[in-house]
Amino acid sequence: MRAETLKGHLDGILLAVLEPGPRHGYAIMEALRERSNGQVDLPTGTIYPALHRLERAGLIQAAWSSAGGRRRRVYELTPAGRGALDTERGTWREFSAAVTALLQPAPLAASSP
Amino acid sequence: MTGPAAVAPSVEEYLAEITARLPGSARTRAGIVAELRSGLLDAMDARVAAGLPAADAAAAAISEFGDPFAVAGGFRAEIAAGIARRVSIALLATGPLVGLLWIAAAAASHLAPRVRWTALPRGLAAGLPPVLAAGLLLVAAAAAVTACGALTGIAVTGQLSRWLNDRPRRAPAAAAVAGFGAVGADALGLALLAAQLATAPGKLSPAAAAAAAAASAARIVLARRAARQCLAMRAALT
Repeated sequence: MRAETLKGHLDGILLAVLEPGPRHGYAIMEALRERSNGQVDLPTGTIYPALHRLERAGLIQAAWSSAGGRRRRVYELTPAGRGALDTERGTWREFSAAVTALLQPAPLAASSP
Repeated sequence: MTGPAAVAPSVEEYLAEITARLPGSARTRAGIVAELRSGLLDAMDARVAAGLPAADAAAAAISEFGDPFAVAGGFRAEIAAGIARRVSIALLATGPLVGLLWIAAAAASHLAPRVRWTALPRGLAAGLPPVLAAGLLLVAAAAAVTACGALTGIAVTGQLSRWLNDRPRRAPAAAAVAGFGAVGADALGLALLAAQLATAPGKLSPAAAAAAAAASAARIVLARRAARQCLAMRAALT
């Protein structure tokens, strides 16, 4: 799945990946790949500016941490981020249900008057 | 001694390509590059652990990160938003301070036989000479433009951005408006002072007027530089 296809949903996807707990940049990328069964494979470099934007909006917070001799910036959902994720989920469910219904092959119009 | 450069020279080259395209302070860029480096080294480690030689692992990690132009482009918008926010806050904070210095200067001077300052907002018939009264109105208008620009700059770069469309050029544009508004307000103040010096210098309180003029002159220099920087950042965004 390419970046353009995901446009508009990347924020929600990043929030969802951070829902189970704090992660750093590369772990976020790995989780994206794993949870989408390899369908989502973005250029990793584009994840970082998106994370900084979410941080500025107060939806996630970041802190530097040192583990194994490497300093990493670890991101975590804020309460506002959890709220935004819930909203995003609701919107997506409605949207996908509507589109699924619309794209379904219509039954043959045998009984129409 | 094995620094990052010794571990993966190609990673450092890739990071240098991104850094070269980032605006902002050295500190901001260093923070971004440090974060990207740890991500790249993590990606490299994952491949080395899977059995790839170090050089191949570095090349794969770099290709996975993507075009350095695109990565830098994403960060440019973020850096511009951060700078626009700081500029807006600084302008909004210094405006009233400089304004108070001018009010103090006016109060310490004898600009009119009997100035009724409380009547100023309602009309120009406050006992001030007409040119001065008209000039003050223009200062107020420029200050209003500054405040609107700065408030917009702060709003769109903070938590409000959750509900806004992602339009990266908005924040630097608002901050530039605020900066040029401040330049206008302070320049008008100085022009009014010059007019007063030319016509009736004896009525001014020298110390208070000098303090206000110095504050405005400093603000003009800083606001102009900040506004031009914001305009340049805006132009560089898509």
